[in-house]
Amino acid sequence: MEEGRSTASGIEADSVSLSQRRSNFIYQFTQQSLPACKPVLSPVWVISVFFVVGVIFIPVGIGCLHASRSVVEIVYRYDVECIPAPFRGNKLAYIANDFIPKNCTKHLKVVYSDAISCVLATNKWKENLGDGRAMWLWYWYIKRNACALFACYFQVLVCACFLFCPEKVPRSMKAPIYVYYQLDNYYQNHRRYYKSRSERQLLHGLEYPDIGSCAPEDVINGLPVVPCGLVAWSMFNDTFSFFRGVDELNVNRKNIAWKSDRDHKFGKHVFPFNFQNGSLIGGARLDPNISLSDQEDLIVWMRTSALPSFRKLYGRIEEDLDADDTISVKLLNNYNTYSFSGSKKIVLSTSSWLGGHNNFLGIAYLSVGSSFIFVAFLFLMLHIQNPR
Amino acid sequence: MKRYVYINDDNLAKDIYCDNRISNRKYTILNFLPKNIWEQFSRFMNQYFLLIACLQLWSLITPVNPASTWGPLILIFAVSSSKEAWDDYNRYLSDKKANEKEIWILRQGIRKLIQAQDICIGNIVWLRENDEVPCDLVLLGTADPQGFCYVETAALDGETDLKTRSIPSACMGIDVDLLHKIKGVIECPSPNKDIRRFDANMRLFPPFLDNDIFPLTIKNTLLQSCYLRNTEWACGVAVYTGNQTKLGMCRGIAEPKLTAVDAMIDKLTGAIFVFQIVVVIVLGIAGNVFKDKEGRKLWYVQYPKEGPWYELLVIPLRFELLCSIMIPISIKVSLDLAKSLYAKFIDWDVEMVDPETGIRSNAANQAISEDLGQVEYILTDKTGTLTENKMIFKRCCISGRFYGNESGDALTDAQLLNAVSTGSADVILFLKVMAICNTVIPVRSKSGTISYKALSQDEEALVCAAARLRMVLENKNGNILGKECPWWLGNAKAGNFSSCQKEQMKLFFLLPVLIVSGQQVRTLAEAVEQYAQLGLRTLCLAWRKLEEDEYQEWTSMFKEANSTLVDRERRVAEVCQRLERDFEILGVAAIEDRLQEGVPETIEILRKAGINFWMLTGDKMSTAIQIALSCNFVSPEPKGQLLIIDGKTEDEVCRSLERVLLTTRITESESKQDVAFVVDGWALEIALKHYRKPFTELAILSRTAICCRVTPSQKAQLVELLKLGDYRTLAIGDGGNDVRMIQQADIGVGISGREGLQAARAADYSIGKFRFLKRLILVHGRYSYNRTAFLSQYSFYKSLLICFIQIFFSFISGISGTSLFNTVSLMAYNVFYTSVPVLFSVLDKDLSERTVMQHPQILFDCQSGRLLNPSTFAGWFGRSLFHAIVVFVITIHSYAFEKSEMEEVAMVAVSGCIWLQAFVVALETNSFTIFQHLAIWGNLVGFYAINWIVSSIPTSGMYTIMFRLCEQPSYWITMILIVATGMCPVLALKYLRYTYRPSRINILQQAECFHSSGIIEPKSRSSLEKDLPSDSVYEPLLSESPSATRRSVGPAQRSDSFQSQSPPDSTHTRKDN
Repeated sequence: MEEGRSTASGIEADSVSLSQRRSNFIYQFTQQSLPACKPVLSPVWVISVFFVVGVIFIPVGIGCLHASRSVVEIVYRYDVECIPAPFRGNKLAYIANDFIPKNCTKHLKVVYSDAISCVLATNKWKENLGDGRAMWLWYWYIKRNACALFACYFQVLVCACFLFCPEKVPRSMKAPIYVYYQLDNYYQNHRRYYKSRSERQLLHGLEYPDIGSCAPEDVINGLPVVPCGLVAWSMFNDTFSFFRGVDELNVNRKNIAWKSDRDHKFGKHVFPFNFQNGSLIGGARLDPNISLSDQEDLIVWMRTSALPSFRKLYGRIEEDLDADDTISVKLLNNYNTYSFSGSKKIVLSTSSWLGGHNNFLGIAYLSVGSSFIFVAFLFLMLHIQNPR
Repeated sequence: MKRYVYINDDNLAKDIYCDNRISNRKYTILNFLPKNIWEQFSRFMNQYFLLIACLQLWSLITPVNPASTWGPLILIFAVSSSKEAWDDYNRYLSDKKANEKEIWILRQGIRKLIQAQDICIGNIVWLRENDEVPCDLVLLGTADPQGFCYVETAALDGETDLKTRSIPSACMGIDVDLLHKIKGVIECPSPNKDIRRFDANMRLFPPFLDNDIFPLTIKNTLLQSCYLRNTEWACGVAVYTGNQTKLGMCRGIAEPKLTAVDAMIDKLTGAIFVFQIVVVIVLGIAGNVFKDKEGRKLWYVQYPKEGPWYELLVIPLRFELLCSIMIPISIKVSLDLAKSLYAKFIDWDVEMVDPETGIRSNAANQAISEDLGQVEYILTDKTGTLTENKMIFKRCCISGRFYGNESGDALTDAQLLNAVSTGSADVILFLKVMAICNTVIPVRSKSGTISYKALSQDEEALVCAAARLRMVLENKNGNILGKECPWWLGNAKAGNFSSCQKEQMKLFFLLPVLIVSGQQVRTLAEAVEQYAQLGLRTLCLAWRKLEEDEYQEWTSMFKEANSTLVDRERRVAEVCQRLERDFEILGVAAIEDRLQEGVPETIEILRKAGINFWMLTGDKMSTAIQIALSCNFVSPEPKGQLLIIDGKTEDEVCRSLERVLLTTRITESESKQDVAFVVDGWALEIALKHYRKPFTELAILSRTAICCRVTPSQKAQLVELLKLGDYRTLAIGDGGNDVRMIQQADIGVGISGREGLQAARAADYSIGKFRFLKRLILVHGRYSYNRTAFLSQYSFYKSLLICFIQIFFSFISGISGTSLFNTVSLMAYNVFYTSVPVLFSVLDKDLSERTVMQHPQILFDCQSGRLLNPSTFAGWFGRSLFHAIVVFVITIHSYAFEKSEMEEVAMVAVSGCIWLQAFVVALETNSFTIFQHLAIWGNLVGFYAINWIVSSIPTSGMYTIMFRLCEQPSYWITMILIVATGMCPVLALKYLRYTYRPSRINILQQAECFHSSGIIEPKSRSSLEKDLPSDSVYEPLLSESPSATRRSVGPAQRSDSFQSQSPPDSTHTRKDN
């Protein structure tokens, strides 16, 4: 392409060179001689990749841990404690008996057990690292010889171990505070269970008669069930209310389900029909006068979990909770997890940009990052000893 | 079985024999579907996938929508069916075109224009110049008064020379008008595929000739698909029609060849299948146990108390379906695509275009390119393959006097020119024989120059030489005497009547003289020996004078022999032998056949690459040895050693064979001496018949062999012998006599040379020159093998990866056989996300072509299958297991608790797999062209694009999921973590191996990198040679290489008594008598 010519000739030259380039390209393709870059695993390249990735990973890991630490989470397992003493030996009889009142009140403290926060809060790290002397030692080690990298690596691991210190720290919780119920050892992903639903019936209701996939909860007394299937049938039916002192904390139970589900997955004009009318009562009953798209508990429950331990959103507390506040939970312990040795927990948690409390990513980043640096130094040593 | 054809009889034989409708179609419209589907399902893989697809229809056990298997399955079937249908449709079209061509035939005495398909047996067909022959005809008349016509038989045997055909002597002289009324009967054999023989008789009915039986040969026929040339018209009677013509009978479907790589892939597939069954059984049992122990307590699952009878089977079958993706459905398609691209690369390669003729290389068989990289034995023809087959008359010895010895060219030898001009009787006679005794057709162009068309290059050389010595063959007049002419070629086939006109001098017309030339004449041994040692082809010329009555007597015998139907060839040969006695030797002509350009270098490079060469030739032993020496086949003494197996009787051959075998064992075990054995056809026959075992051992021990005077079938037998030893063989040849060998070998390479295209047509690959073989093997074969090795193992890797995740997931889903992934993801994962990027590995080049050419030893890695074998596959298996653990563990931990929604977790896991596989492909790619970048990174973009599209469909299961995920920082952080964790050990291991235990490929890659232009300087190359364990060629690598097997087959039995028994001078001392 030459410059400074008239437009027409420029275009002409352009098209010529384009077609030339194209034919040249095709020629190179047919001759397998396309220009290619051949990356070679040169020591410098590999070592620097390992090093750079490691160096980037560690701050990311610290950031993740920090995010996770900023989340305050209170987990309380209530399923065992809420059984009155006489029934402790026979939990199944207790839960199966509709006439025993299932009320239960428990008290929670706004304290929080978290690794980093406890290390930081108790100044333990100072004892551990020896008020800065160890830092200087680290620096000296690294400067002195690469062998110290072993030490460095293990220091990091030791540090990670300290992260699991069990001390509890009172911390305040900022609104919104999410209220979850957690079920353990509950297989929502069991094939028989997870498939037993009908997406189209949820959207179209009785208009959609083909609900064979919902078996065995598809038809009761000759009439189709809406919503059909095991998932809906086994809906969680414990209820919670929270008090600070005597004041009831307002739990907002609207908008706990995904908006997309409410709008497009559950019908606005589909109402529960013939639900929980069989001989076996599974879980919650539904108000037949509220359309499915407004039954947010159902919608949340119908988003089946892939793991046997899962949390589902119950509501949001839109007030701040102070450190060392005592919260009373009044709950109805209806749901049967006793027959399969599951457990039920109530979870209050704030949230961060990374989501809920989860140290996994942070720890994983730290350990992967430090192993990258370790490997980088290992390769560097190898390379210095056996230069090639 | 005989067939009687009544000429020009409309009433008879119509319904006995088929009409002339040609049908090459495999299918008809009605049977296409059943037949095609049946054919496709005769393959194991397809049966397996069909079974899986059918099981998926049972909704109780199917983990995902059956569409995830049916979709790809139907797609694959549709693609291969439509390809078949398209091919068949094209065949139908060409058939139709041939069938509906308008042809003049004779009906009720009137010439009519009909379609070719309506020709019946016995019809008289009229052809014009340049017409294609519609069916097999027996010539009745031509425009030529001598009764000759010329045909081009390229479509039939690939030979482009014009051939002469003549009308039977019975029809000689029949007027054109009378041809309309001709009646008679032809007695011919039932349809067969022999295009060189037609032993038939013709009897014309009165009034033409009375009850005289005339013999017919192939010379009197016009075969289907030939073209009439240089003849104004010709007419003939149809004897074979439709699919019963010689061409139709020849047509056969070649058996598909299976490459070693394919066999290995099949084996690995079988292993994966077994693994899958084990997994299914274990998980099935575990699932049933869990169901009874725990599952019944899960009230929300509502297990019925009493299940149906097949209840126990449900969980194993579910796992079978979950694990069915272990065997990737896409591998077949990917490999087929890759293979056809390899073939295209061969077709496109400009460096394999013959600069003289412009003939491109061609891969007729698309499926076996990988085998080229694994060749262990090359069996080559000599004439036309190693040599140019461009014969030039160089020397001669006439009545004891040598011409051309000083100058190296007899044509410029002053003595000879002098002798010609003085008219020395011996010399003139010699030249006459040279000019006349042949089948050469002189073609006079309009400008008056004469060119010669000949079947045999030797004959052409002789005629041209004679012409330069002023003995010009100008014209071949036909039956001037109305008789078969008595000019004979040495190997006693009826020659054409010839005349030699020079300076108005008519020779030999009235005096029947027999002149015999031949290679077997056993005098002038000295001259023959001398010429042979120079690598020249020698030809003895001799003559004999026949008396008139002797001639007459012989002619009648010859005629009788020639008209027998049974065993005609032998009878004719017998008759001819009667004349071959009492010769007067005229002299010896020596013809040079130059080596093709680049042959010695090619052979040297390929021998360095560890390929063993066998030369199979029909030529004399001394010539063969000479050629072998001159093209680096065997190193010259003292390094090279030639051991000769000869003998006329079984005992002799046996003794000779044992001696050679012992010597070979000794030399093989103690040094790297170059040992070759030489065997001639006779000894080979005996050895193959009675001493097969020792001969096989010898064949395996010896790196080089020279087989002389072997027949085509012996060539094929030798290939068979090596194939039985499980070696990959490549046969290369150029002539019709190599066709059987080429078809027999694992890979057949034909040289489209001067002996016609016959070999090239039968071959899997055709190239223009022998020297392209090194590029074909070292570049195309090697790349194909490397690429297929990666492609196939990678296909298994990615299928196993996703399958392992499913298996792990089943442990946290109550071993109930839930699929973590939804239908869309599963289908697209196999068909799209993972297949596209890897397809572009067909452009990958681990080493530059130049480096490979400089270091041919690198081919060992391919030969011994080091890139695709159970242990490399175990590596990929382990990698997929590791990556599955990484993806699974990270996914379920970072997406735990409140984020554990099924669709989200599934998409995180799928994205993790896609990211990992993109980096795996990138790490395993040696050279990135723009296509690789586009495919690898574009595929990632495509993955998100597709998922976004699916996520925006409200009815889909994953509505909004992908948007949700992409908004979360934790998603991207998880992806980076998965990639880093998954790739760290892979990269580290690769680096360690690359740097501290490099393979030869790695060493060369590093060398290439240091000299970034790819040019390796001589100095560094020599150091590299040192690095490149040149003796490891023979030592440590050999656990898998051919020579190792060779060693293990031949235990070194030290027997000192035999050391002296093969004197080194036995090399060239075999005399011709």
